[in-house]
Amino acid sequence: MKTLLDMRPVYVVGIGLHRYQRLSDKTYVELGLTAVREALNDCGIQWQKVESVYHGTALLGMAATRPMLRYLGATGIPMAQVENASASGSTAFRQACLEVAGGVSDVVLAVGVDKPEMPRLAAAKAGIHDLAGSRIVPFTHFALLANEYMSRYGVSAEQIAAVAVKNSRNGANNLYAQRQKARRLDEVMAGPPIAGSLTRLQCCPIGEGAAAAIVASDEAIDRLGIDRARAVRVIGSVTRTERVYGDGKNWDAELTRETVEQAYRESGITARDLDVIELHDAFTIEELLYLEAIGLCGAGEAARLLERGETDIGGRCAVSPSGGLLAMGHPIGPTGVGQIAEITRQLRGEAGVRQQPNARTGLAHMVGIGAVCVVHVLQKPQ
Amino acid sequence: MASGKILSSEKGTAITMRIAAHPQLYSPDGPAPPELKGGRCRSCGYVFFPPHRYGCEVCGAPPDGLEPVSLAGRGVLRSFATVHFHQGAGIEAPFTVGSIVLDEGPAIHAVLTCRTDEGLRSGDRVRSILVTQGQDGSGNEIVELRFEKIGER
Repeated sequence: MKTLLDMRPVYVVGIGLHRYQRLSDKTYVELGLTAVREALNDCGIQWQKVESVYHGTALLGMAATRPMLRYLGATGIPMAQVENASASGSTAFRQACLEVAGGVSDVVLAVGVDKPEMPRLAAAKAGIHDLAGSRIVPFTHFALLANEYMSRYGVSAEQIAAVAVKNSRNGANNLYAQRQKARRLDEVMAGPPIAGSLTRLQCCPIGEGAAAAIVASDEAIDRLGIDRARAVRVIGSVTRTERVYGDGKNWDAELTRETVEQAYRESGITARDLDVIELHDAFTIEELLYLEAIGLCGAGEAARLLERGETDIGGRCAVSPSGGLLAMGHPIGPTGVGQIAEITRQLRGEAGVRQQPNARTGLAHMVGIGAVCVVHVLQKPQ
Repeated sequence: MASGKILSSEKGTAITMRIAAHPQLYSPDGPAPPELKGGRCRSCGYVFFPPHRYGCEVCGAPPDGLEPVSLAGRGVLRSFATVHFHQGAGIEAPFTVGSIVLDEGPAIHAVLTCRTDEGLRSGDRVRSILVTQGQDGSGNEIVELRFEKIGER
């Protein structure tokens, strides 16, 4: 089986977003076009040079892609809509990378667009009745994990809530973030309580938005006069799905561990090489669980890492510098692509106030109901 | 399909029954603690809940390789959380849910009999119990399987 590094190099050359925000009157078309035009401007190429599109969306509905992109010019290029729950955007990005790396296309757009709607999960139609299923929505699932984590490692509710303090601080410096207000710990803890120890500010907001990333080959960078100094290489792309793990194992963490370990093997790096991480922090407890599964520290140690400032911008490894899902937001389709945009900004040295110094290697991680995990590793060429 | 003990009224006119809220998962009658209906793979021994006849998730055995199995309704409370915000019929917040590892192996989620998490600790032994959840349109009693901490009553 081939890895990205076995195939020809693929680079992120252009990024663009529409701010993530509460549901508004803006149509998905306007959101999407804003992000795509910004990405085209970012790398200075015209729409006519894009050869193929993957569009990640979980909620827009059937056939949303061409009705949005036709207004850039109906160029007749291949387009595919991609859905993998919360990892829809990440999967669209993966497909774009594979198409360039595999030599099928030289310039591919990965775009994510969504507007909030009540999701309808196909699994509800599987005819399998569960005892408490409909009463365990995501925030309750993670409230249970937080309870288990606190009990097993002696970590307090405040130590978990501190993730939201850090991420809100980062989001306050991000004009694309839905939540741009830095919060103190007492504000985060003040509720309202949603489930278990999780309060409202420890859960990501619901919103709309768009994010775009253009990936290209060496040949296209030269041919189109794209600034090579701002191109960031994608050196790993791995996706895996949930298996049956042993009793007592937290499947969210195990799935992440397996996917990230494969990404490390394929891209030739370890956790120690990471300067920047954007992960699936839809709930505060997730950041701690996934950091441990990613191998940044041992089991039960992530809260201490956070307390010591090691995951701050300026610390050992900046985690959720964009503000993460908690503060930047999680409109779903855009989220994974937005992570790529943030990491690209960081590795280019263009993140301004949010800049992690000397950032060279970044990891993007998303999980989606199902469950599926998608991980990308990006690196600035020397 | 409704099934269950027929309770005839004093006057012998109205006949009402006890109905399980999730008939695929447990019976509304039988000895306490109520058993859960699970599944088992004959090839690899994997025991799972909720039951289905699709195929074995662990070894891929086809439907005829699976068999129903009764789970005793006893286990350990691994974690719990009180839900304060709930959209949807059938239950009102606050209520408490638990992640329970049954003695036979499967990890399940269930609603606990206590509304809040007071007195609960990870590691508590729990057992199933049928709780009345009102009546349906025909006057039948609806019972729902929940879990209670042992030693509670």
